[in-house]
Amino acid sequence: MILAVLFANSVGNVLIERFNGVPAEERLHWRSFLVKLGAENLKGVKNEELLVACHKSVYIVYTMLGDVSIFLVGKDEYDELALAETMFIITAAVKDVCGKPPTERVFLDKYGRICLCLDEIVWNGLLENTDKDRIKRLIRMSFLDSLFYQIFNYLLLLLFDQTRINFL
Amino acid sequence: MAESSGTTLMDLISADPTPIPAQSTSSSASSTAVQPSPASASAASHLHHPMSTKTTLGEKKSKRATLMQIQNDTISVAKAALNPVKANIMPQRQRQKKKPVSYSQLARSIHELAATLDQKSSQKQLVNHVFPKLAVYNSVDPSLAPSLLMLNQQCEDRNVLRYVYYYLARILSDTGMTPGGGIPTPNWDALADIDAGGGVTRADVVPRIVNQLTTEASNSEFEFHARRLQALKALTYSPSGNSELLSKLYEIVFGILEKVGDVPHKRKKGVFGTKGGDKDSIMRSNLQYAAMSALRRLPLDPGNPLFLHRAAQGVSFADPVAVRHSLEILSELATRDPYTVAMTLEKLASPVGALQDILHMNDVLARVSLARLCHSISRARALDERPDIRSQFNSILYQLLLDPSERVCYEAILCILGKYDNTERMDERAAGWYRLTREILKLPEAPSLSSKDKAHKTKRPQPLIKLVMRRLESSFRSFSRPVLHAAARVVQEMGKSRAAAFAMGLQDIDETVHVNGFSDALDDAETNESSHPEGIRRTSSISGPGRNDTIASLLASLMEVVRTTVACECVYVRAMVIKALIWMQSPDESLDELKSIIASELSDPSWPAALVNDVLLTLHARFKATPDMAVILLEIARIFATKVPGKIDADVLQLLWKTCLVGAGPDGKHTALEAVTIVLDLPPPQPGSMAGMTSIDRVSASDPKSALALQKLVQAAVWFLGENANYAASEYAWESATPPGTALMMLDADKMVAAASSRNPTLAGALTRLQRCAFSGSWEVRIVAIQALTTIAIRSGEPFRLQIYEFLYTLAEGGVQSQLSEMHLSNGEDQGASGTGLGVLITPMLKVLDEMYVGQDELIKDIRHHDNANKEWKDEELKKLYENHERLLDFVSMFCFIPRAKYLPLGPISAKLIDGYRTKHNITVSTGATDPAVVATGISDLIYESTQPAPAASNSSGLDDDLVNAWAANLGDDGLLGNNAPAMSRVNEFLAGVGTDAPDVEEENVFSRPSVGYDDMWAKTLLETSELEEEDARSGSSSPDSTGSVESSISSHFGGMNYPSLFSSKPSSHSTAKSGGSKYQSTYEGYGSPIREEPPPPYSYSEPQGRESFENPVAASGSRSYESDDEEPRKSTGTRYGTALYDFTAGGDDELNLTAEEELEIEYEVDGWFYVKKKRPGRDGKMAGLVPVLYVNQS
Repeated sequence: MILAVLFANSVGNVLIERFNGVPAEERLHWRSFLVKLGAENLKGVKNEELLVACHKSVYIVYTMLGDVSIFLVGKDEYDELALAETMFIITAAVKDVCGKPPTERVFLDKYGRICLCLDEIVWNGLLENTDKDRIKRLIRMSFLDSLFYQIFNYLLLLLFDQTRINFL
Repeated sequence: MAESSGTTLMDLISADPTPIPAQSTSSSASSTAVQPSPASASAASHLHHPMSTKTTLGEKKSKRATLMQIQNDTISVAKAALNPVKANIMPQRQRQKKKPVSYSQLARSIHELAATLDQKSSQKQLVNHVFPKLAVYNSVDPSLAPSLLMLNQQCEDRNVLRYVYYYLARILSDTGMTPGGGIPTPNWDALADIDAGGGVTRADVVPRIVNQLTTEASNSEFEFHARRLQALKALTYSPSGNSELLSKLYEIVFGILEKVGDVPHKRKKGVFGTKGGDKDSIMRSNLQYAAMSALRRLPLDPGNPLFLHRAAQGVSFADPVAVRHSLEILSELATRDPYTVAMTLEKLASPVGALQDILHMNDVLARVSLARLCHSISRARALDERPDIRSQFNSILYQLLLDPSERVCYEAILCILGKYDNTERMDERAAGWYRLTREILKLPEAPSLSSKDKAHKTKRPQPLIKLVMRRLESSFRSFSRPVLHAAARVVQEMGKSRAAAFAMGLQDIDETVHVNGFSDALDDAETNESSHPEGIRRTSSISGPGRNDTIASLLASLMEVVRTTVACECVYVRAMVIKALIWMQSPDESLDELKSIIASELSDPSWPAALVNDVLLTLHARFKATPDMAVILLEIARIFATKVPGKIDADVLQLLWKTCLVGAGPDGKHTALEAVTIVLDLPPPQPGSMAGMTSIDRVSASDPKSALALQKLVQAAVWFLGENANYAASEYAWESATPPGTALMMLDADKMVAAASSRNPTLAGALTRLQRCAFSGSWEVRIVAIQALTTIAIRSGEPFRLQIYEFLYTLAEGGVQSQLSEMHLSNGEDQGASGTGLGVLITPMLKVLDEMYVGQDELIKDIRHHDNANKEWKDEELKKLYENHERLLDFVSMFCFIPRAKYLPLGPISAKLIDGYRTKHNITVSTGATDPAVVATGISDLIYESTQPAPAASNSSGLDDDLVNAWAANLGDDGLLGNNAPAMSRVNEFLAGVGTDAPDVEEENVFSRPSVGYDDMWAKTLLETSELEEEDARSGSSSPDSTGSVESSISSHFGGMNYPSLFSSKPSSHSTAKSGGSKYQSTYEGYGSPIREEPPPPYSYSEPQGRESFENPVAASGSRSYESDDEEPRKSTGTRYGTALYDFTAGGDDELNLTAEEELEIEYEVDGWFYVKKKRPGRDGKMAGLVPVLYVNQS
């Protein structure tokens, strides 16, 4: 379960947040915990460098993208690595929408579209779409082109097996 | 503050220079263009009828400008007045800002644009301006729903539609549980209460939305299918409590799957074949995806074969996301019913089956789910008679170890190690370690990949352990923190399994075995390949010539890499590494390296307290797994106590001491106690000295806070010593072998000490330390030390009792003497014992001891008298003796716990006489529950409740001594890890691996802002002053806190309620629940999992109105700034009741609407807010939430 997705600006204002399965009275705590975490650790961090934290059995992965910091909180199958994957997808989508690592201004200009992207990426606390183009198509509500996928998958498969072999 | 950034959410709204049409047509309502302020609430009422008055364009604009000007002026004046500094620093940004567009304008635009949808410009306007801006608000007014639905029906533009689905989903899901960040919006349904006329509520719109969406979702027209996907998606957002809707959804999903699910869809062939392109197959795969995604969001239906069938169909779907969802569903089902799932998937798991294809699928989470699925099936007891199925799944699991993604590989490792969920089972873990070290991965023939088959075939089968070690080592060289963290976590889990294997005494875990021996043996067996189609084989071969990789050497090289990871700059990674090191530490290895690593780590001030405590809890867990390590762990715990006294939770530390002391066994007890008391021997902290930062024998308490914490820790250690020294020393008065006369004969103090220490060095050492504490240290420590000494005096036999008596006597006498001699120097206060301030405490203790000695003397005299006169004891004499005995018992019980049945305050020689009297008069031994002292002080509830069965047993005379002592020490049964103390629940929670409740943020200055807008910022500047007051109040409240500690230390005198001790089963009252990281813990621990996933409380919908009136969240945002303050104690732990004094409108999702006179149940208080529950849900459907304290009259 991805418990929370939270976007904040550089001074700790929450821009977007999506909580899943977190009781209302705990959200305040999470919010301030995350914002504090960001304030303490995100200074001077490179774009998209992933930082990690944990609290009990909950994992937190966060990063900086332009002027915006992004926090993901997950548990169970969404451990630090799965959250890192999710983070890649989210940052890719945001960059895609904004054209570059966004300044806060650009981010806010594209706010609606980013919300739609997020809606396609994290759905009810579970990771949904992982592919940038697919997300784009879903936002446009056009067909998911399966031909494209099949070719894409095939190419990945080739690559994949190569890695497997190398690893052995 | 937010202004400094220059761009805010409000900028976005004002970003568009072209006014939206709404502005040119709207009416006087435009005054509400300004952001929510108290004034705008009043304007809200007429916003719903915006078209009533028409004004000319110019008129309107000028009016609007004037109003804006007034508003801006007001704000800036207010800001300047309240916060002049800030106003000066800030450039006049407000001037540059364009006019913000209010929510109401956006809403109105939607209504209007929906009506004029046929125009192209309207659609453009919607997509480019209105909808994106509406997204900034964190919820959507249900009264927009009719327009949205209209758009949904009539609009063709897909961009518009996408937004429409998005907002419909938001309205559906808006249960108060999903705020979205951005600008806060009011609670719409609550607004309906204020504004009674017209308007639409969620209750009205939700059925309409659901109806329309379900119709769309069932529409099978080709053109419609993109909308079908979105409609289905939006539907899954609806609250899951509605069973009617659920069944409808199941119906739709199963319907779709019935149509599209059955056609097997070979992914591979699609690449070059003809299938990929045609519309039918695209549509099918899209529908498969949508249906499977929706199914994943629906609740599991474990008993339903159709559900399972549909889920299993998904494994062979073309869409990777659909496959992932299907696997996730299957893996969850498999944990409940592995047999059925395995039977369903039997074909798919074969080497040519679809599950093999997933190994090569480009979806990490799909492969993770596959690992879980394989794990639960291959470990299922239900499949014992189908080893072929199990081995097939096992084979897939092992192949996942080669996965290029770390996430998948680690999941596979964890599955192999027997860590699946948080239910830790020793045997499963031990078997996991066995598997990892003994089993072999041999890639099966892979007919589906004929081209690459050759490459695989040439590879030797690999022992799992080697693969895993190599993988982990390479991970530790990664630069990515998540990878490092995860790798350290995997090593930690490995340590857990290893510890379990050692604890279970698994045979064959000799770690010096050459691992390649296994694969060599396998090579030999390769000739008869056909007999082992599964490819995985256990071998018990031990020795292998040739290569010299042993498990031990592999582990050693891994640990070397792990240790270097301590250099990572992220504390969380370092903490995980330390945990891993603790788990991988075996009892016989040298501890020095680990100790120095921990010591140097802890000197780093960047470690948050929560993390330090986490490591401390890891020590608990480690101890539980390997009790032999008690002493080692205590050594480590000592480092914590000395290095970071301010950060660790003293409760948890004490519990660790206690459990280790108990677990150390008879031989280790002395060492264990020494390890605890070493805290007392430390030199007092030297403020500011940075010299011995890395030395573990020096206390680092450089700031007052940690100095205070250290003192508390010392207090705790002293108390611990008093309570448990007798246990550690195995010295009890009721078992004393020394005849009483002996002690009386050696009244010379020096001789006494010598005799004592020769008899029992442990206790003598403890006494010496306590005596020193009684002199030195702060007065809190002295008080506890005296209490501890008394406890030991009462519980120990001679000569210890006498030694303490003499010490106390001297202490008290000294005071009297100094009082006499230096009367004139006294400032009028009773200096008490030599100025130690302990006179008041010592006197009653001395009195009890006096009484005991006098009683003993009398008894000896009486016995001599009787012996000399050769008289039998008369009944009255015996009665007198017995009464004296009981009286003394009552006295003694006031100081500490003793087993009444065995304790003889009149000395061992009284035993015969007392017993005689008891048997004669048929008196059963009082169990203590009727003990007047116990009853009077109310300790009975605390002490005897959970040990009730034991006293009953102690009635029988032939009682095992160990049992009594163990009972006294509260070790009986599971008393060791009972569930009573708050620290205990923390430990148990940790051990169980749960605990997802929100972390506490310690700093007071962290602003937790759910969102920002003008209103918010404005509110903050207004609040500036009250914030200062709050801080004053807080600093003031710190002194009551310190008196609290005095109180608690005194109250601990009555039964040790404050410290966990071996002698009381409910050691800590709720008042000791220190911040620790779980403010709400006691409230939520009852729920099992802190994160609840139940559906939100039931809803009753009501009429919302007045979209305009954003309440000014002054109060809310104000209090949020301080909510992290965890020092304020919760005022009560029990439930209180109250009534609402006034109406209150919730300013945020956490808050609760109140109607005056409403009856409430007050759960707890946080920073001026009550968390209350209503008797019945309010109009907005909420049952519980936060309300200001002042709005509630407590009854």
